Amino acid sequence: MRLMFDLPETERAVLDSAMQENEKLMYCIPFNILEDKFVSGFIAITNKKIYKILDDKLLCEYTIAGATGFKTEVMYGSCGFYADFGEGTTLICQFVSGRHLPRYAVIVKACEILAEDQTKDEAITNSEQERFCPKCGRPFVRGTNICPYCLDHMEVYKKIFAMTKGLRLMMCFPFIVAVFNVIFQFVVPQIQKIALNNYILDEAKYGQSDMMTQFILIVVAIVSLDLFHRALAVLQSRLSAVTGNRFTLMMRTLLYEKIQSLSLSSVQRKSTGDLMGRINSDVNVSQDFIVNQLPNLFIQLFSFLTGLVVMLVISPIMALFIFVPIPFVVFLISKFWKSVQMRNRRLWVLGQRTNHLLQDILNGIRVVKCFGREENEIKRFKDASIKHANQNEKNAKVFDTIFPLLGFAIKLGSYLILWYGNMKLFNGEMLVGELHQINSYANIIYAPLMYITFIPRNISNFLTSLSKIFEILEENQEVQDIDLPLDIRIEGEVDIKNVTFGYESYNPVLENVSFHVNPGEMIGIVGHSGSGKTTLINLLMRLYDVNEGEIVIDSVNIKDISQNALRTQIGVVLQETFLFSGTIRDNIRYAMPHATDEQVIAAARIANAHDFILNLPEGYNTMVGEKGYSLSGGERQRIAIARAVIHNPRILILDEATAALDTETEKLIQDSLNKLTENRTVFAIAHRLSTLRNADKLLVLDKGRVAEFGTHAELLENHGIYYKLVMAQRKMAQSVIEQQGIS
Amino acid sequence: MAEEKKTTEKVNTKPKNDILGDGDDGDLILENERVSIDLTMENAKFTRSGGDLISLEIVNDKGETENFERVVVLRSFPVTNPDEFLSVREPDSKKQGRGKEIGMIRRITDFDEDTRALLSEELDRRYFTPQIKRIFSVKDKFGYLYWEAETTAGHVTFVMNNPFSNIRVLEDGRILINDIDGNVFEIHDPTKLDALSLKKIEIYL
Repeated sequence: MRLMFDLPETERAVLDSAMQENEKLMYCIPFNILEDKFVSGFIAITNKKIYKILDDKLLCEYTIAGATGFKTEVMYGSCGFYADFGEGTTLICQFVSGRHLPRYAVIVKACEILAEDQTKDEAITNSEQERFCPKCGRPFVRGTNICPYCLDHMEVYKKIFAMTKGLRLMMCFPFIVAVFNVIFQFVVPQIQKIALNNYILDEAKYGQSDMMTQFILIVVAIVSLDLFHRALAVLQSRLSAVTGNRFTLMMRTLLYEKIQSLSLSSVQRKSTGDLMGRINSDVNVSQDFIVNQLPNLFIQLFSFLTGLVVMLVISPIMALFIFVPIPFVVFLISKFWKSVQMRNRRLWVLGQRTNHLLQDILNGIRVVKCFGREENEIKRFKDASIKHANQNEKNAKVFDTIFPLLGFAIKLGSYLILWYGNMKLFNGEMLVGELHQINSYANIIYAPLMYITFIPRNISNFLTSLSKIFEILEENQEVQDIDLPLDIRIEGEVDIKNVTFGYESYNPVLENVSFHVNPGEMIGIVGHSGSGKTTLINLLMRLYDVNEGEIVIDSVNIKDISQNALRTQIGVVLQETFLFSGTIRDNIRYAMPHATDEQVIAAARIANAHDFILNLPEGYNTMVGEKGYSLSGGERQRIAIARAVIHNPRILILDEATAALDTETEKLIQDSLNKLTENRTVFAIAHRLSTLRNADKLLVLDKGRVAEFGTHAELLENHGIYYKLVMAQRKMAQSVIEQQGIS
Repeated sequence: MAEEKKTTEKVNTKPKNDILGDGDDGDLILENERVSIDLTMENAKFTRSGGDLISLEIVNDKGETENFERVVVLRSFPVTNPDEFLSVREPDSKKQGRGKEIGMIRRITDFDEDTRALLSEELDRRYFTPQIKRIFSVKDKFGYLYWEAETTAGHVTFVMNNPFSNIRVLEDGRILINDIDGNVFEIHDPTKLDALSLKKIEIYL
């Protein structure tokens, strides 16, 4: 990330005259907003002072020494950079968040260092990638180096061409067929002309014996040509079905593999609908374009050009007639095209809204019923549907008027040809066969005209879909295995050393967290929501990589362990238990698909799930998930626990695993967990402190830092946060529920 | 089940707020949570702070005078009701986390002109929403829209993805536009926009 922008000359001069001799310029970054205007000013930071420069003016200067409270504040659409220089907090500058927030976050740190000690004049650097295109300064697509603005169409074509390896020969075939198709289209009228002129209209030849055979020959020629043509067409359709399928299959697999390999954060940044859209509809659009539209485009262009040439050769004057309607057509199209496009788009949007509404309401049907809002929801959906229907009706009316009109305009030329040709015919300058031929050619030429008007939109749709696909395919993988990852057998010793991490690197969720866990210990993690408990767990599973510090398991940095080895030896039970559609057996075996039935039962027994499973009609073969048997929260949780323990993990992570359960069930599960946690390193997050009474040590997180770490006794003696939490819950427990006290 | 969940949540939220709310790291005071009060001319005095921001002096429920070197003013309904229900809060800080609400201004008109000017200055800065006066071009490149427009804050170029969710037409006819960088632009009255500009965005409305 750039922290030292080049100052333009005027600004440079301002800074030079303001700076003292022993000052060193360390950072220089832009700010964009001043009062109610967008500006392009700079904040220059030396080891002593902060200068705010706009054009040829030095707006402000602040002395860093002794200043406090450096921070950024996110506002509505923009951010502010604040500090206190002894007279109270002041706003140093205002900037556009998307552009510079990460930069200013680093600057805040840098200023804090300088405020304490001005001799530390080594500028901090930040290795985070710049999110803006170096060529045009516009933002990249998130997580990639693609700048849609600078992206050349040719580049996209090249990329897609590179991906068609193995399909190219098959993809060429439609073009060959197309060429033949066109030839056929032009040869048949030629033969028809001969038949008309020489045989049908030439009464002199009627009755001659060789005339009949010749005529039959002509008919046979036409029929066999047609047969051949159709055979080719069949072959082509079959082949494009194959290529189309293979292309879709390849693209989908590639995309899906990529999505699976992307880190959790980049997948979660996108909505499920968006990802599904890319895998389904964007792939379909690309496939349709490559397999159907492209050859078609080629056919149309080729037949248009051939037709034109042939016509020019036969009758230059009539060829000119073809161009007569073109101004009309262009005029009509330019006049109506925008409106057609807009209407289509509006219809699409209304359709989407209706769908979305439907999905929303059906998902929340329980809420709707509970609050008795059925009437209201019926009305809401009806309104949306009516809007959609009305737009559809309007569109249909408009389109059904425009397109026949367009068709007529396009055909204008052929009426002229007919008129001119007939004149010639009546004057005896032309034979019927020729007229028929020319008329057929004119129709051949006109067909592509209509099609060509759709090409720009088709191409742009195709390119948009393609680039959406490439956005995913080219996204940088955040968590990656090293070249030769280790497949170690984990014993369970975990060492967290000075770990700092934030989902956005400028906004750390965990700061300088360090602690050590011996193999087989159970660590209870406590803290209020947002204190970084789940984040810590995510780092342990390496769903994200730490920004600073390291996590070491059995003296090996987890970055050196293969992700596969790591995750197969860690078992996780989350608060929200997601079960896939399938049987209970499948769900328990999820992490170990080849587990024997004996292992499945053993895991279920550990999770105290065996008994309730057997009470289900189909035992372990009962279908669960969205379409299956509906289980209670506690039952689902116990299946999730069975799933986590089936592969006998060395490290077990319980993230609020029992929070959704009633105390009775929790007790059941606690007992089974106790069995389970023997000889295993366990990290357990819990709000209910009673859940953690067996923990060897407790880790109290507060605002991303380790507030306390030690045994129950130690922490209680400390009278710190943990003590207060225990007291608070004990009070609550005494007054609300009769519960076993906290040991 | 559901009932049980509720009690757990109660257990959870209570200490959470207290940890957040407490002034000193590690020292947890369970009681003494700040109660938000209604701010009026009688109990609140806003002044310009040394750092050119807003300071506040209030007389709280117990009749004590409290001073805040700097307060932040937030709109509860920035889009639909910008001049009412203004939340006056302590600024967020790294040490203490999210700032607490000191009180609420029911209507900005409850205060005198000087105070209104002071509050408006802070609100305008915080809710920086330039008005679009003219649209020069809207280019669609691979599904991203590149805009060039004249606004009350000057000439701007910005990028937007997913136009159908980032251009919002409000019930009163206003149009809100969110770009990829987090900027918010507004077209206050689309009917007053010139025809050429309107034509460029019509399709997304």
